[in-house]
Amino acid sequence: MSKKQPPLRAGMEGYFLLAPALIVYLLFAVYPMIDVIRMSFSSWNGLSPEARFVGLGNYRAILTQDPVFWGALWNTIWWTALAVVIPNLVSFGLALALNQNLPGRSSLRVVFYLPVIIASIAVATIWKWMYDPFFGLFNGLLMGWGLDGLIVDWLGDRKFALWSVFVAHVWQAVGFSMVLFLAGLQSVSITLIEAARIDGAGRWGVFRYVTLPALGPTITIVFVLSLINSLKAFDIVYGMTGGGPAQSTQMLAMWAYTQSMQLGVFGRGAAVSVVLLLITLVIVIPYMRWMFRREEMGK
Amino acid sequence: MTIRKLVSATLSALAMSAAIAATPAAAGEVKIWTLTFDNNSANVAWDKIIKEFETANPGITISREGRSVDEHKAALRVAAQSSEGPDIYFMWAGLGLGGEFVKAGLSKPLDDYYKQYGWDDRLVGTAASFSKIYPGGRHGVPYTFHGEALYYNKALFEKAGISELPKDYDQLKATAAKLKEAGIPAMTFGGTVNWHVMRLMDVILEAKCGADKHDQLMDMKLDWSSEPCATASFVELNEWSQNYILKPFMGIDQGQSFNLFLAGRAAMMLEGDWLVGQLRDAGKIADYDIFPFPTGTDRLYGFAEYLYVSSKSSQADDAAKFLDFMLSDKAQQDNLGAFGSISINANVKYDKVDPLDQKWMDIFAKYTKIFMNGDQAFPLDVTTEYFRVINEVASGNIKPEDAGKAMQTFIANRG
Repeated sequence: MSKKQPPLRAGMEGYFLLAPALIVYLLFAVYPMIDVIRMSFSSWNGLSPEARFVGLGNYRAILTQDPVFWGALWNTIWWTALAVVIPNLVSFGLALALNQNLPGRSSLRVVFYLPVIIASIAVATIWKWMYDPFFGLFNGLLMGWGLDGLIVDWLGDRKFALWSVFVAHVWQAVGFSMVLFLAGLQSVSITLIEAARIDGAGRWGVFRYVTLPALGPTITIVFVLSLINSLKAFDIVYGMTGGGPAQSTQMLAMWAYTQSMQLGVFGRGAAVSVVLLLITLVIVIPYMRWMFRREEMGK
Repeated sequence: MTIRKLVSATLSALAMSAAIAATPAAAGEVKIWTLTFDNNSANVAWDKIIKEFETANPGITISREGRSVDEHKAALRVAAQSSEGPDIYFMWAGLGLGGEFVKAGLSKPLDDYYKQYGWDDRLVGTAASFSKIYPGGRHGVPYTFHGEALYYNKALFEKAGISELPKDYDQLKATAAKLKEAGIPAMTFGGTVNWHVMRLMDVILEAKCGADKHDQLMDMKLDWSSEPCATASFVELNEWSQNYILKPFMGIDQGQSFNLFLAGRAAMMLEGDWLVGQLRDAGKIADYDIFPFPTGTDRLYGFAEYLYVSSKSSQADDAAKFLDFMLSDKAQQDNLGAFGSISINANVKYDKVDPLDQKWMDIFAKYTKIFMNGDQAFPLDVTTEYFRVINEVASGNIKPEDAGKAMQTFIANRG
């Protein structure tokens, strides 16, 4: 290049190259989000040409009159709290085990990862059959062992339904975090581990002071991904219970969809979505800021 | 290629695509949106009827698009916002489903076409009666009409010593009690699909409240919390679910429930006329019989599926002409059984029918009035609450005495 580009031109080129992706992002991510917020202040049935402005009416309705909303909110919080902890602890344990020189290690990694690539709706169908109260695997085993008294309507009894779906979710979700943890474990510097051993660190010492700190960024990613995925839990619950029995497994994301697409009350559905968005932001933003600050300080 | 040429070529391409997209539907083209029917013989019959119509009416072409239930509803909502959309669309009859579209002004009143083609002279009265429930004229024509009644396992009734069919609601409960004494659950339902257990509540409500109050409750003109028959109905529902329904039922769907019924695990099932075909396919049709749920009123429990003409259609005359062809004696006779076990055309002749089909024909001939399923009578949001309250009562999670209050609170909050 013989001529030097003026700085403004160089900047414009950058924007020009960024433009296609930016336009797609603005059109298909930012605009719908803004439109959902706008819609949450309107009453619209999806059929009439005009939406009517109702101010905070939809929020008042979901917070004070909707018999399902608070249950769905509680279920979403319950699900998120457990889904962030339990599958990740299991997958971390699996990753640690499968990072050792075990016979058949590669095959085991594939086996544990397989549920991840199965569509959630297929996972829901498989587990639904296993939970079938009359012909399913679990009640069949209980009956086979003579434990007829322990037979349960796994998906039909509100005491068990959400737990039953959650177990299916754990089965499906574990493989994904396991792979991330495995990648993190394999990137831990051998030199550091050996140095720690030379300094007299035992297994626990190496894990506590070398492996765990090195996994910091991976843990952040796994946590944030689990959190976001849990807050928007939909497909497996929808496939297994549809929110029932009597809305006892209803989730916020599913309730937003039901309100909008099935009941045709788009304003209320949008209001539920906005509440979900706010909850997500309130949890995710401070956590990410804290983690990034910690990482910056560690550099 | 220079930037200018590239921009120019892109703009030309965009302009061409816009021009193609903006091309209006060809004159004489009638667009029909229906479900993709699970019963494939319906899809085959549609294609056949369309082909015959096009042959008989050169210049009019018919295109049919089938979608799954949710996709169909979503597509219609999108179409409601644009100038593109169907000339004829499928939707259930009733204020809750078809009524939403009528209320939004998306259905064209068909009074003139009913007169012009004399549809009332050939349609089954009860099936056509749904077209009169909407404000502002008659909307839609019947596509199918279904009745629902109690199917019973003859051997299990015999085993329990039941020789006479119940004639009123109290006798039905006595029958259920007798079955229970013999160790046989009286009925089977699938609770995961909310509408299955709802049927029991619907018929109990008709039995305990009578026709007028039933309709007023469904129209939300009576107070569910203070109306004694509403509470009495929830009490009955609770009693049935605790004592007479095969358990567990909340975690199974209607298909599993049917399999249990076939396996002889329960004596009765509240199902539609379509079950005859399923019993026939299972090779067990001889083991079962039917009787209408003894509500004590002179109305049959049932619902209809309709074909509506869009108010936005520019081909309304051609659309009506096609509907006339579809409702004709010949098209209905040629495709008998493809859409439902009973035709909506009263002139159709039934040959070599099974005894159960004959029973249904007798039932349809006997009843001139109907009361429809709750999920078709209520607006959609109230239906969802109705499902929730029914499921809570059936599961024993809320007291039947509190159920009416929950319903009424929801209705009152709608404003």
